[in-house]
Amino acid sequence: MHPLILVAVFLVCTIVGYFIISNVPSLLHTPLMSGMNALSGVTLVGALSATGLAYAADGIWAQVFGMLAILLATINVFGGFGITHRMLRMFNKKKPRS
Amino acid sequence: MTTVQIILSVLLSLAVLGGISMMSKVKTAVAGNMLSALAMLVGVVATVWFSGVMTVWTIYVAVIIGALIGSLMAQRAQMIQMPQLVALFNGLGGGASALVGVMTYMGWGKAVGPDGLTVVPEYPLFVNFTAMLAIAVGMITLVGSLVAAAKLARLIDGRPKVYAAHSLITMCLLLLSVVMIVLGTIYSGNLWIALASVLLTAAFGYMFAIRVGGADMPITISLLNSLSGVAGSIAGMAISDIFLVAVGGIVGASGLLLTQIMCRAMNRSLMSILLGGAVKKKTTAATATQPSSVATPTVATQRNGKTVFPENADFEQLLQQLNDMEVKQLLDAIEALTKEVAGLRAQLAGQAAPVAAQEKAEKTPASVLRDAKDVIIVPGYGMALAQAQHAVKQLADKLEYKGARVRFAIHPVAGRMPGHMNVLLAEADIPYEKLYEMQAINDDFKTVDAVVVIGANDVLNPAANTAEGTPIYGMPVLAVADAKEVIVCNYDLKPGYAGVENPLYTREKGVYLCLGDAKETLMKLTNEI
Repeated sequence: MHPLILVAVFLVCTIVGYFIISNVPSLLHTPLMSGMNALSGVTLVGALSATGLAYAADGIWAQVFGMLAILLATINVFGGFGITHRMLRMFNKKKPRS
Repeated sequence: MTTVQIILSVLLSLAVLGGISMMSKVKTAVAGNMLSALAMLVGVVATVWFSGVMTVWTIYVAVIIGALIGSLMAQRAQMIQMPQLVALFNGLGGGASALVGVMTYMGWGKAVGPDGLTVVPEYPLFVNFTAMLAIAVGMITLVGSLVAAAKLARLIDGRPKVYAAHSLITMCLLLLSVVMIVLGTIYSGNLWIALASVLLTAAFGYMFAIRVGGADMPITISLLNSLSGVAGSIAGMAISDIFLVAVGGIVGASGLLLTQIMCRAMNRSLMSILLGGAVKKKTTAATATQPSSVATPTVATQRNGKTVFPENADFEQLLQQLNDMEVKQLLDAIEALTKEVAGLRAQLAGQAAPVAAQEKAEKTPASVLRDAKDVIIVPGYGMALAQAQHAVKQLADKLEYKGARVRFAIHPVAGRMPGHMNVLLAEADIPYEKLYEMQAINDDFKTVDAVVVIGANDVLNPAANTAEGTPIYGMPVLAVADAKEVIVCNYDLKPGYAGVENPLYTREKGVYLCLGDAKETLMKLTNEI
């Protein structure tokens, strides 16, 4: 894929994301940040394909690095979404009862 | 990447954006978070499928272990640990991006074409460059976040630490890192360049994070959050994955926005926070020593004598100077006096019994709250430290039971991460409708019957409006000083993180100090009402 397309995608997403996120009230800034945090673990996608492809072709070091990358990214993703979910439920606790 | 993959990536990116926009309302936020998580899951499964690596066992082992650790941490964590946990996870994401950068740079795991041969990248320079950049940004995020998390968890000293020649070393590290990126772009697959880059950028991350601390933490965390997204996005460019680029970009934007909001709330520029450790210390020292040096009149006269009548001086200017001086001296004298009075008051309070009998029906914090019909509670980082949010809830309940209206005023930078106070109060079951942002409630301080301050200092320090040259000057603060009756439940009267004395504590009328652990003080107060 052409580098310019990738850079363009990055710029568009940054700008669109910026405007969507500016609607989030400060009340929810911590859950927002922790949710974003979980999303930053999306690099898992890259770690998975690189490690998988390296399995046949490259040596043991590639697997060590790759598995470490996957491990870190999955902790990030599961931990991040888990905490965000817990926090958001706290904000909603009162609703069902009333 | 095939057309199907591209379309799927776009759809998933839109789903993530949709999930985030649902995060702007409390009611839809839980579903929004799940939508983002689902989009991520589909993205991961699709990637494994399309790159044809389903049969590789190593990735499953790593995923399962990671998922277990992550889920356990998310379940076990207490709300009080939230800032350091967010910082920690953030760092791990950055570390993963850095590792992907290393793998890509080394040429490990290149895609295999339909003919069974590895695909040679079309733009090798771009791949090398982005891979090196991913290493750099990823490592800065990893080490910076780990330092921030350790500071927040109090594993290391939370105050800013400045080494000798700190800026110089930092600049050198940055410069060397850039050199490595350039070298790496030219020579591909050199393990030494990759390792050197990892070490240099890690050192840079350490130097940058170690010099920020305390109240600047919310900004640092937001910035690192942004960086972790950017690192992922750059790693995505290196491996030509649109989904990764898109989501990383969104995360980067969110962190950037939060950083901006925090900076504005503190009336400081990002640069001054990243480089400000040393400068700030100086001003703190100056404000701390000033009152003692001018307290005695002799020093003041000397000062006066020194500046009078330099030759060729512009007369008006001189007059102005003199005027300024007198005002300053007067202010200083007043300050010294008020301090003395405060000291005397404290002494009196110590032997209160006989005095209280003389003064008819002196108001106490409890009696003020008993009569109050409209109360604002101002929480700060001290509430988090003392874990007093449940005690706050009890106080609020009791006041409401007595028919008072209770609201909470939340300063944007109260606490150690954006929205910190909101989460703690939500944990204590305080409905979010009662939490007000600064702009929404600042005008009401004038009219309420009482204000209860819990472990907050800098965010309500009226000196921010008047004390020019101090670190907090110009920072928008909660107008607690406008209130008739203020009850301060702080640990002590020491200046907050910014190191500026709070004139509110020495105010003559309507300020009640309940010092000590906020949890105990609040429980005592609640019982007395």
